[in-house]
Amino acid sequence: MRWSNSWFLVATLVGCDAFPGEQPSAGVDDAGASRASYPLQLVDDAGMPHTFEAAPRRMVSLVPSATEALLAMDLADRLVGRTDYDRTPELADLPSVGGGLQPNLEVLVSLDLDLVIRFAGDSDLATAERLTELGIAHFAVQSDGIGDVLNIIRDLGEISDASDAADAMLREISDELTDVARRVSALPEPRVAYLLGGDPPWVAGPGTYIDELIAVAGGTNVFDDLGPLYAPVSMEALLDRDLDLILLSNGLTTPSPLAHVPSVVMPASVEIPGPGLGRAARDIARLIHPGAFDESPR
Amino acid sequence: MKPLASAALLGLAVVLIFLLSIRLGSVDLTTGEVFAALRGEGDLNVRRIVVDLRAPRAVMAILVGGGLSLAGAVFQALLRNPLAEPYILGISGGAATGAVLALAMGLTASLAWALPAAAFAGALLAIVLVLRVAATADHGVDVRVLLLAGVVVGAFFTACMSFVLSISDARTVRSTVLWMMGSLAGSDWRTVLMVTLYTLPTGVALVGLARPLNLLAIGEETAGYLGANVERVKRVAYVLASLLTAAGVAATGVIGFVGLIVPHGVRLLVGADYRVLLPLSFLAGAAFLTLADIVARTILSPAEVPIGVITAFVGVPLFLLLLRRSLGTRLAAGAES
Repeated sequence: MRWSNSWFLVATLVGCDAFPGEQPSAGVDDAGASRASYPLQLVDDAGMPHTFEAAPRRMVSLVPSATEALLAMDLADRLVGRTDYDRTPELADLPSVGGGLQPNLEVLVSLDLDLVIRFAGDSDLATAERLTELGIAHFAVQSDGIGDVLNIIRDLGEISDASDAADAMLREISDELTDVARRVSALPEPRVAYLLGGDPPWVAGPGTYIDELIAVAGGTNVFDDLGPLYAPVSMEALLDRDLDLILLSNGLTTPSPLAHVPSVVMPASVEIPGPGLGRAARDIARLIHPGAFDESPR
Repeated sequence: MKPLASAALLGLAVVLIFLLSIRLGSVDLTTGEVFAALRGEGDLNVRRIVVDLRAPRAVMAILVGGGLSLAGAVFQALLRNPLAEPYILGISGGAATGAVLALAMGLTASLAWALPAAAFAGALLAIVLVLRVAATADHGVDVRVLLLAGVVVGAFFTACMSFVLSISDARTVRSTVLWMMGSLAGSDWRTVLMVTLYTLPTGVALVGLARPLNLLAIGEETAGYLGANVERVKRVAYVLASLLTAAGVAATGVIGFVGLIVPHGVRLLVGADYRVLLPLSFLAGAAFLTLADIVARTILSPAEVPIGVITAFVGVPLFLLLLRRSLGTRLAAGAES
């Protein structure tokens, strides 16, 4: 087992870039005042420059991380549609646009939108092209790692004229990550893998928020050499990596060849990288290091 | 029924189904809103839905459905068998593999014509392979071997496609489902224009071959005596029908059984004269695929069912029925002799 350096890691994750307190433009001292200045210029994660003349009033988010962030910033009233994967009761009555990839364009057009939040990356370039053709503004976000998620929160805060809420959220997340990292920093790191299901099972590799949460929570992801992001691995590789603990995605059971390895099912907080990242880190750390959290529940 | 009356009826059906197709969708619009949008009036978003989303999709369904059906009718004439069809002969699979390869190699970014060209090359490769395998010593074609070869070559191309899709990092290759089961969801006016440029001249040329195809139906030898240049007609028809298939597949992926069901139905309606059968097959195929697409995009709205699923649900039972009948008569004929 390696010894944890997770405390150090948090500093690089939440970094100067996303850490609200260290950003001159995002100082929280001038509290109360609306700080967004329109027209606002931002470059999205697909490298596309955007100019916002005002905060968008009618939005659809195809990306769960962004949806969660908007809801946590109390901006549910700006969302006028949802995807089939949004299970939040707050959005249940909104019309669905289908999946987050290849959404139903007809429904999107009918919603008379100011902005669509879509996945960056090349998994659905056709949708981006069609949205442009149809004259619907779209902002691409990447939600792979913790830093990406913090960027989403900060960008959405700025775009929606809710930077105060965003900053508070960012500070809460980084405080919680720091606290979790501090608690586990002196503990030995168990060797873990995060299984997402599938046969052969898919695991989380480097660059994913799960890999980073594991590190913050004081564990070693045995597949941090894999990747990028998520990949299927053979049962042989899983056995060969000499696991101390298996982290199972919600609803999974341990594959029988790994029955001898202890396993824990991850709580729902880990499923979506969003405002709940701090909570997710704590939940994982509790499962990896049950002893470290005995004295003070949050 | 009289050919002209049938043509008029089918033409009317195509127009009505086209209107139905731009009337129905995930978003509820009134007929008045749709017509206003077609005249370029009314709400901007309604105009976008009708003119930029539904209309190109409906036109694409007409072109691809008509093209696949016409190609099917031509293959049935050439092979003198009612079971021949671009999908069953593996030609659609070959075309899709060519298209996927061109996309994966990034050829399509710089060369607009590369996608249909690659699909065409794949389609030709498939038809040559299948015909070689099924050719008998006396220049005839054993139908059972032909169908078997078509299925196996089709399976091989499906494997090739799966392989390319799994190794190509560029997800610009759109979704696997598109290429395996077909989808009209990506249709915009640009792709419609491309498919039109390939489909219309090819379709007209094939209908122009109706007379020699009629002669071929009697028998190659007889056709030769009656003045048809049999080999040349066959070669040109194979190439054009493959091109027609490739144009559709390049835009919408593999959609099976259209070329089987539709010409068969039309044959029941108007008989086997290819001068009538070919143009009517185009019209009926257009109507059929547009109808199938309406089902595909409304039944699970806002999600979509791959359109190939719908055509297979209709086509497979019919294929099995035809197969049983055609093998049955063959066996009966064998027993008598």
